[in-house]
Amino acid sequence: MPLYVAPIGEKLTIAKVKGKEETVRFLGNLGFVSGADIEVVSESGGNMIVNVKGSRIAIGKDMAKRIYI
Amino acid sequence: MEKLRIALVGNPNSGKTTLFNELTGANQTVGNWPGVTVEKKEGVLKGHKDVIIADLPGIYSLSPYTLEEVVSRKYIIDEKPDAIINIVDATNIERNLYLTTQAMELGIPVVIALNMMDRVEKSADKIDINALSKKMGCKVVGISALKKTGIKELCEIAIDLAKNAEGQEAIKFSPETEEVITKIENLLSEDVDARIRRWLAIKNFENDKEVAAQTREMLEIIKAYEEKMDDDGESIITDERYTAITTILKDCYQKEKKKMTTSDKIDRIVTNRILALPIFVLIMIGVYFVTVTTIGTIVTDFTNDVLVGEWIQAPISAGLESIGCADWLNGLLVDGIIGGVGAVIGFIPQMIILFFFLAILEDIGYMARVAFIMDRIFRKFGMSGKSFIPMLIGTGCGIPGIMASRTIENQRDRRMSIMTVTFMPCGAKLPIIALIAGAVFNGTWWVAPLAYFIGIAAVVITGIMLKKTRLFAGEAAPFIIELPAYHIPIGRNIGRSIFDRTWAFAKKAFTVILITSVLIWFLTSFGVEGGFHMVEDVSESMLYNIGNAVAFIFAPLGFDQWQSVAATVTGLAAKENIVGTFGVLTSIGDADVATEMVDNVDVAGLAPIAAIFGSKLAAMSFMIFNLLCAPCFAAMSTIGAEMRSKKWTAFAIAYECGFAYLISLIVYQVGRLVQGYGFGVGSVFGIAGIVFLVFMLVRKPSKGVKIETAANAA
Repeated sequence: MPLYVAPIGEKLTIAKVKGKEETVRFLGNLGFVSGADIEVVSESGGNMIVNVKGSRIAIGKDMAKRIYI
Repeated sequence: MEKLRIALVGNPNSGKTTLFNELTGANQTVGNWPGVTVEKKEGVLKGHKDVIIADLPGIYSLSPYTLEEVVSRKYIIDEKPDAIINIVDATNIERNLYLTTQAMELGIPVVIALNMMDRVEKSADKIDINALSKKMGCKVVGISALKKTGIKELCEIAIDLAKNAEGQEAIKFSPETEEVITKIENLLSEDVDARIRRWLAIKNFENDKEVAAQTREMLEIIKAYEEKMDDDGESIITDERYTAITTILKDCYQKEKKKMTTSDKIDRIVTNRILALPIFVLIMIGVYFVTVTTIGTIVTDFTNDVLVGEWIQAPISAGLESIGCADWLNGLLVDGIIGGVGAVIGFIPQMIILFFFLAILEDIGYMARVAFIMDRIFRKFGMSGKSFIPMLIGTGCGIPGIMASRTIENQRDRRMSIMTVTFMPCGAKLPIIALIAGAVFNGTWWVAPLAYFIGIAAVVITGIMLKKTRLFAGEAAPFIIELPAYHIPIGRNIGRSIFDRTWAFAKKAFTVILITSVLIWFLTSFGVEGGFHMVEDVSESMLYNIGNAVAFIFAPLGFDQWQSVAATVTGLAAKENIVGTFGVLTSIGDADVATEMVDNVDVAGLAPIAAIFGSKLAAMSFMIFNLLCAPCFAAMSTIGAEMRSKKWTAFAIAYECGFAYLISLIVYQVGRLVQGYGFGVGSVFGIAGIVFLVFMLVRKPSKGVKIETAANAA
């Protein structure tokens, strides 16, 4: 399922990152790669704050829907 | 002797600039906000005249997709520093080492500065530095840039590496991938420097836009491997890097069994979907309450009345008179220069208080969350949440507000932000609002909130309208921002932030505002009718002639009296001049008296000013125009500096004036129609204005240029 419907506070694993080449690469550089552990800290209107690869990142909904868990 | 050059490379917000300041003794601005360093800076290492340290912008990778990445990579490849200090945030080691794996491929010796070790030691996390160093194949030093520990050792190692220039062994990937890379390496031209052969092979495998130049043979190898792995070259490498890091960290890094961190707990509350906005509103109300009313009023009154008025202006004026100085020189010095610049300086204390609070919110890490909270709302009209911070600062003063737009990476979003920041009523516009509310509307409470509402509406309307034009078309860049962990504010950082912002403002006060104050004093004090001479009565001055000459332009807006036009002109030097100008131009006769009347909401005393306006509607139209039109000269010159383009600066100012004119026209003309003044030529223009505005708001967006890549977003 896409990240933006993920429950808050649960440890999840990224299954796949979809989208344009640049988007995937860009998200990859920040730690969003398949197999990475991810945890949603907070959600607001589809925008989310997540912990991934040990760092805390706020992403917009348009990015959250490209990340599948 | 040849100078040694050492480059600082690291993720955004990993403490590079703090370390750079510590190493070189420089005073660069530090923020708890990613992207504070945009350009590279060089400095000499303290105590080592022959060593130059280059602070490169914070980057997540060395792929050439963002401006920062390009700057950093160019520097390393072209300038070939003798060593790289890779600063790694020890509290976030996994993601930070990703960049390390890339930095180690460039053939330049790398030393890892494991920063924020003090925080790791306090937590239950454990990092075995020796094991990490062995596994990574490079030196690792635990430091704390903030607490200044480990820095001496780091310097020694870095200098040692730079002198010996032994190259750097890269991190190895899986045997299958290594085999492919070796094959490509062997196909590279023999001219390629041995040190960067592996790097170039990987870049060819990844199909890096800037350096890839695969031969047919290479392409076949790559394609075969991509098919085998069912993935593209770049994803394969990204995966390999993270896999390598995970393997390395397994044996030398123990993460505390994850409980919720304090930052997590705070974020659960302050970024909560329901509570986030109310909490933010409460914080801002608190900040403004202190800044504008209590402490703010005390210090502002002191600066204006006592410091500038009694201690500077009065004695100089008396002194000049006693030595028999010419009237015009006295007037120039006391009214023109000290009066003009003094009025601006009066804002500094209040601004320092506001900047103090904003600096704290920024330093503890809350501002980055505010961008996140506001993004949801701003996105609806095509802007990023990052545009909100400049506007917030802009309510204090437009100059630091415009400068704060620098943290917005997307060029179009940044330009839009620069153009709209000054729609927000800044500190200097408050007297105009108070004047109209007091003199014309009997001190009604709703004028001030209305002014803020107009400011916000102007930003929103501009956002929607301009996003549909070709110049700004395209979705707002996707929102991604790394959130720093919350920390206790650091005095040094706060002090520097306040100083930088206040200084930017003060510098303008002594340059642009000084010159314009003199110019306006000149226009009000001299007349040309019956020969050039100094005048007592402003209605004989050149300002009167100018006001009269251009008044017709403002007739459709309802304020074609020369006084209001003259006030608008003086407002370009500094918006708070407007009240003073009215004071001088009416029977009140004095700028300070008028200012005091406004402060005390002396409705009766202000009657002469109210009398200038033909109607309440005209006064409202005047206020709106002055709130929205081109800001003061100081802010305009800041727009110029930040746009870095004459064309864009001209466009921004023309747009602001045009927009102000349009809104005032609509308000005045349609307002008259509603009030039953009958239909006239003006009404036609008013209605045409509305039609135009609505059309611009609802029309189909222009396709415009392709949206800038996601990579440009962060």
